[in-house]
Amino acid sequence: MATPPPVLPEAVPPSGKVLRRLFLTLFLRGRGARGLNKKGAPKSVGEKLAFTLFIYVLFGCMAFFFFKQPVFAMATYLHAMTFMFLGMFVASSAGEILFNKEEADILLHRPVSPKTMLWAKVRVLVEISLWLAGAINLAGLVAGCLSGGNWVFPIIHVFSTILEALFCTGCVILVYQLCLRWFGRERLEGLITMAQVLISVAAVVSGQILPRLVFRFDHVLDVSESSWWIFLLPPAWFAGLDDAFAGSSLPASWLLALLAVVFTATVTWLAFDKLADGYETGLQTLNETVSKLKKMRGQRRFLDRLASVPPLSWWLRDPVSRASFLLTAAYLVRDRDVKLRVYPGIAPMLVIPFVFLLQGHGHGHSGGVSFGIPFSGVYLGLVPLSGLQILQYSQQWQAADVFRAAPVSGPAQLCHGARRAVLCFLAAPMVVLMALIVWLLLGDISQLLLFIPGLIALPVFALVPSLGGKGVPLSIPVDAAKAAGRGQSMIVVMVIAFALAGVAGWTWQNGCFWRFILAEAIVAAILYVGLRVMLAKVRWSSAE
Amino acid sequence: MISVIQLTKRFGAQTAVDGLSFEIPPGQIVGFLGPNGAGKSTTLKMLTGMIEPSSGSANICGFDLQRDLIEVKRHVGFVPESGAVFESLTGLEYLEMVAALYRIPQNAARARIKQFISFFDLSFETLTDKLLGAYSKGMRRKVVITSALLHNPPVVFFDEPLDGLDANAAVGFKALIQTLAREGKTIVYSSHILDVVERVCHRVIIIDRGRLLLDGKPDELVAAHNSGTLEKLFTQLTGGAELERRAEDFAKTFRS
Repeated sequence: MATPPPVLPEAVPPSGKVLRRLFLTLFLRGRGARGLNKKGAPKSVGEKLAFTLFIYVLFGCMAFFFFKQPVFAMATYLHAMTFMFLGMFVASSAGEILFNKEEADILLHRPVSPKTMLWAKVRVLVEISLWLAGAINLAGLVAGCLSGGNWVFPIIHVFSTILEALFCTGCVILVYQLCLRWFGRERLEGLITMAQVLISVAAVVSGQILPRLVFRFDHVLDVSESSWWIFLLPPAWFAGLDDAFAGSSLPASWLLALLAVVFTATVTWLAFDKLADGYETGLQTLNETVSKLKKMRGQRRFLDRLASVPPLSWWLRDPVSRASFLLTAAYLVRDRDVKLRVYPGIAPMLVIPFVFLLQGHGHGHSGGVSFGIPFSGVYLGLVPLSGLQILQYSQQWQAADVFRAAPVSGPAQLCHGARRAVLCFLAAPMVVLMALIVWLLLGDISQLLLFIPGLIALPVFALVPSLGGKGVPLSIPVDAAKAAGRGQSMIVVMVIAFALAGVAGWTWQNGCFWRFILAEAIVAAILYVGLRVMLAKVRWSSAE
Repeated sequence: MISVIQLTKRFGAQTAVDGLSFEIPPGQIVGFLGPNGAGKSTTLKMLTGMIEPSSGSANICGFDLQRDLIEVKRHVGFVPESGAVFESLTGLEYLEMVAALYRIPQNAARARIKQFISFFDLSFETLTDKLLGAYSKGMRRKVVITSALLHNPPVVFFDEPLDGLDANAAVGFKALIQTLAREGKTIVYSSHILDVVERVCHRVIIIDRGRLLLDGKPDELVAAHNSGTLEKLFTQLTGGAELERRAEDFAKTFRS
């Protein structure tokens, strides 16, 4: 008879520590690394993290703009930025870390308690949140001492930032657990996706707008002059903590500080202790293979019908383009990973034109408006450009082999389908929204004509990501995404936007706008045809 | 139907497929065997036009792999080992998308899909309403097999097609490929499940390190090498004969 397996010696590290190391490694490598060979996987976790932290440190240097300002103004700025960046990070990462479908098969049958697993994950989330928060606030610690705070500021700011990181992480985890408890598995994923997208978009947009709002108030944001609404904003609670100990020490600051401590304690207790027992059930139900049928019919009919009625049906006569259009549209509407990358990715594009419009409008001269409107129009060319670039990446990139196996000579038709979906579902709504904003701000519908230069340039911009056959949707692993490439194209579009807007504004004021439109249309048509011909000639490269 | 001459694929300094040559007539089911890393999947990907050969040539249904690539693709179906699908599409959406790539009209595609789902015991409701990400592995494999046969190709390449299928579905699938072969389709079947290959295939091609080791009818090969079963023949040829002794040695470590 075989002897029982040997018992492991006591020197083996505790399972919590092993799990924490595992989740940290998995998180830093990203799940997109699955399916890649070792050569393609990220080489140095440390390098990747160090680069991210360096960017955050640079971003935090904006705190020096608050030099010699009240502690509360600076602390509000710092905590608002920290709150947004952490909110965005935790919202986009927590779902994958906390409720990973594949994980149940790997870990649930191991001798590890669910609470140990949850704690290991929470520790990883909090740990990374603290690194990020530390990087954002590094410059702020110095600036805070110089801007009216004293030597106490760095100490209390570190404390308030730790509290804020705990609060952010706790809130997101609490939302997940409550969703699981109240709505069940079927609606959990949809709700989580929606929450993640909304939080991320809000964080990006407000992260762009808030600093400009603070600058609009000439940097002066004083707790004594603030209204009741300041008590509703979580970053202000943590700023109150800083102000109470290292700033004005007004009763309002102490009240805000009290709110910070009470809310953080409550959220942390609920998320990490009270509701932690339901975590195992959550993981198990998430992994159930038998599930109720998802109500997809309405949505499916909507996409199918949309592509079947004119004018879209005329535009999608080619069956391959149509298939690619439907695939891209389905992913824009349904896929969590795509939604989390696309919508926060294009959200900032609304902000910059909006700021230009506001500045032109605020200064009350026609020159500002006649520059701001065409700039907004041309700048929206970034929407299809960015959208298509982001859509090339997918966790399910291996499925794109089906395109190569099909009798399609090259990627052109697939690129056209994806481009049309992006124009319909992303660019068109953004153009309408921007036109609405212009109309509401200026109340003059004739100014909308200044959008025409942007609309003419839009089809050309939308073709650029497909050049060389690169615009095949969902065909590249997520980890191969090159943010640098996107940055370059953004700079090019911004330069073109400035040039076109300048010329459009000048021609508008000098009465030769329509001649400019004619010239632009001719140039755009030549470019468009040229780019299409180039794309049609592209053949599949070997899928090695 | 398939003619392969000196097909070679190199990845840098490594040669994955090394001068492979064979011919397969219509209506034959050929087991394409080899140990892990032998070059089976690379060969299948070359023959389906997914990767470019470094040298050599292949002709499928009268079309040259390099000159008439699109026609080759139109005439072949492929079930890849990964079984990857776009998980955010429903089964029906995925299959209709594949049909569109082969330019099959939507109504014809829908009718063909219904035939397949009835064969595979899938409900149309599941196919319409559930995203592929929520399918079991077996259901997903059925969708992938359907997508490979949707355009009625005369040549079909299967790379581990039974992976994830339950016993009934596997039996049904084996019957299906035998029927397809009787109707004149050429089937290339790559698998590690050798007893299935022995029962289903008319002929086996065994490769190792990219080179052809054996090519012939399973029973004739087994008799010629006096190995008893295809599995034993395979292990003899690919250096696996020592495995039983090594397993015995390994088991001893549990007794100590």
